[in-house]
Amino acid sequence: MIEVDGLVKRFGAVEVLRGVDLSVGRGEVACLIGPSGSGKSTFLRCLNGLERFQEGRVTIGDVALDAGQSDRDHARAARRICRRAGMVFQGFNLFAHETALQNVIEAPMRVLGMSRDEAVERARGFLARVGMLHRLDARPRELSGGQQQRVAIARALAMGPEVVLFDEPTSALDPRATGEVLSVMTDLARDGQTMIVVTHAMGFARKAATVVHVFGDGAIVESGDPDRVFEAPAHEATRSLLSEVQAA
Amino acid sequence: MDMDPDASESDARGPSLGRNMAATVVLTGLAILAAAPFAPADALDDARARGTLRYGGDMEGGAPYAFPDPDAPRAVTGFEVEIMDRLARGLGEDVRAEFSQGQWDKLLWVLDSGRFDVVVNGYEWTPGRAEDYLATRPYYIYQLQLMGPKGSPVRSWDDLKRPRPDGSPWTVAVLTASAADDFARGRDAGAIRVVRFDGATDAMLAVQNGQYDFTLQDVPAASYYAGAFPGLGPVGPPVSRGYYVIYARRSDTALRDALDAGIGRMAASGELRRILEKYGIWNDLQNELATSFEGPIATPSSSRGARGWRLVLHYGDRLRAATLVTLGLSFGSMPLAMAIGLAVALGRLHGPAPLRPLLAAYVELIRGTPLMLQLYVLFFLLKLDPWVAGIAGLAINYSAYEAEIYRAGLQAVPRGQMEAALALGMSRWQALRRVIVPQAVRIVIPPVANDFIALFKDTSVCSVVTLVELTKEYSILANGTRDVVEFAAAAAAIYLAMSLPLSWFARWSERRLGAEGAKGGLA
Ligand SMILES: Nc1ncnc2c1ncn2[C@@H]1O[C@H](COP(=O)(O)OP(=O)(O)O)[C@@H](O)[C@H]1O
Ligand SMILES: [Mg+2]
Repeated sequence: MIEVDGLVKRFGAVEVLRGVDLSVGRGEVACLIGPSGSGKSTFLRCLNGLERFQEGRVTIGDVALDAGQSDRDHARAARRICRRAGMVFQGFNLFAHETALQNVIEAPMRVLGMSRDEAVERARGFLARVGMLHRLDARPRELSGGQQQRVAIARALAMGPEVVLFDEPTSALDPRATGEVLSVMTDLARDGQTMIVVTHAMGFARKAATVVHVFGDGAIVESGDPDRVFEAPAHEATRSLLSEVQAA
Repeated sequence: MDMDPDASESDARGPSLGRNMAATVVLTGLAILAAAPFAPADALDDARARGTLRYGGDMEGGAPYAFPDPDAPRAVTGFEVEIMDRLARGLGEDVRAEFSQGQWDKLLWVLDSGRFDVVVNGYEWTPGRAEDYLATRPYYIYQLQLMGPKGSPVRSWDDLKRPRPDGSPWTVAVLTASAADDFARGRDAGAIRVVRFDGATDAMLAVQNGQYDFTLQDVPAASYYAGAFPGLGPVGPPVSRGYYVIYARRSDTALRDALDAGIGRMAASGELRRILEKYGIWNDLQNELATSFEGPIATPSSSRGARGWRLVLHYGDRLRAATLVTLGLSFGSMPLAMAIGLAVALGRLHGPAPLRPLLAAYVELIRGTPLMLQLYVLFFLLKLDPWVAGIAGLAINYSAYEAEIYRAGLQAVPRGQMEAALALGMSRWQALRRVIVPQAVRIVIPPVANDFIALFKDTSVCSVVTLVELTKEYSILANGTRDVVEFAAAAAAIYLAMSLPLSWFARWSERRLGAEGAKGGLA
């Protein structure tokens, strides 16, 4: 369903991604782990078109982002991809001036042209699913980090995405909120939602992932079944990453 | 607007000396007055000791009175300049006359402050002024000349008693607070509407432009500028008559007497006539200068009318009307300025690449040139209606500042907000409209409210396009009645009453925003 071929991304002279290939099938939960600065966020942002890249190609369903596209074509393709690929950010990025409910109905109404009633109806469903039905009218600043992130997940789900991209969704949260958010994500995975998750939560990766990819210095250095990767890491980078996480 | 003839110079009664001194304190912050009891020396002695006689005038009033010398632009020339050169020499061998620039309708106030010794600038003799200042005998007998487009069917003032064929009043452009202003205002009975300018030539230009029907000018100005405004011609014979005199402070009797005698000598010897002829303003009427005056014009004994605060109340309607003009200009222009400013800021940050430098240039051009100049362009070049020019000028001028405020506000919205919107499939435009701009607007409310307060006061510049707003009305009334302190206080109080609520709103919104920021958490 998602194909990435030879993705190269440079910021000026600095090569941040050096030819990444990846394939994610329907219903798969792919976890990306790797040291900070290894290009994981940049990779996700290339997938949904927030960043342009210099070489390679990304295909999601029948839409393609290509390094050779004009800015206009890229913007158009990115917009189509964003309707199918939701994104959950480390910093939540809820619309600060809107309530939880408004955050969730905004895109279905503006982008999918849904009526307000229909959008609200569906939003309530997603907010119930993330356990936030009781705070519909709260603004982001009135919510805890964990609550904000759960609303952000409902906001992404409300577009009915084929895949949801998570960029370290729990890194800004305390342990309790982390648990709440991860349990929501585990439920999603169990329901068959295709997900690409950048995370340092190894427990989640091991339990929920169908495949784990290890990023090292702008490339995927090792991929495999979570149990295999965590039990018998093949690459030096993976070993040092796992020992760091255990020490922490 | 309803013009009350009571405000005219000739009907107003002069204030007491004490009131005058208080005005001086307010106006200049200095109480160094020759009139003060601790400074008994006559300005004549000072002038002789200094070797200069300082006289106040306004070059903006233009030729032929006192104006920049075309051959030596830093110097001043004019028939008054030549008269004063002669009179100064009459005071003593080494006494020179020295021109001192001041705003025309404020010259007497500056005289009070002591910055110059006398006022000489087409100031007509009036009973009110004669009560507060010492006047010489006249050095010119002026009349008022109606000027209009050549070939106008109107032949005389009598034709102006009936409104125009379409029922609207005739418009007559005058120099604010001049004799023409008083004269026209007295005849402002429905068929005539008086339009006030800050400069005599501005009024002529606007009539030649076709923006107004006529201008009423002192004969010297009308004759001198006949060549410069070929589109204008005299309408009917000159009307009214009055005397240009030199004004000195009440304490400077010796100076006044010396100048008065000097004028007498110049009139008798024919020297005065030579100067007036040189500037093309001599006429038969001027023969009276030598024959009819033996000394200063007698000061009438006065009966005092309403003074001070009662007078302010008396003119309440005019102040109210002027306040409405100020409010109309402010509330008409600020929303426009905010809308244009937002559009410019959005264009600079998110618009097509070729547009961005153009918008940056717009901001620099508008911010870098004075509002007054922009109003001149809109009014005299584009010939817009005064209200349109005033509102458009303020809106355009402030739009440049608002654009910069909005730019900062848009940039203060965290990047993540735009990315979250795009990641949901919204277009850049939708993201701006639904997510970024609403947040930026909240951020810019305090600085924009502050700007609005500044704009309130900048509306006073609109007097150059003939709008009589609060500052202008204050100036007219303070001039006409010379109750400067009371009218200044009233105008200040009205400005405060309008801007204080805005200040409170600005501070309240700032506090609220600060509270939001503190609780904001990660965004
Ligand atoms: N906008 C940018 N401009 C320049 N360099 C960037 C930018 N974004 C990220 N980088 C660099 O790219 C590298 C990878 O960053 P990132 O994708 O955020 O890594 P990760 O998410 O794995 O921690 C880092 O060295 C970072 O400094
Ligand atoms: Mg990252």
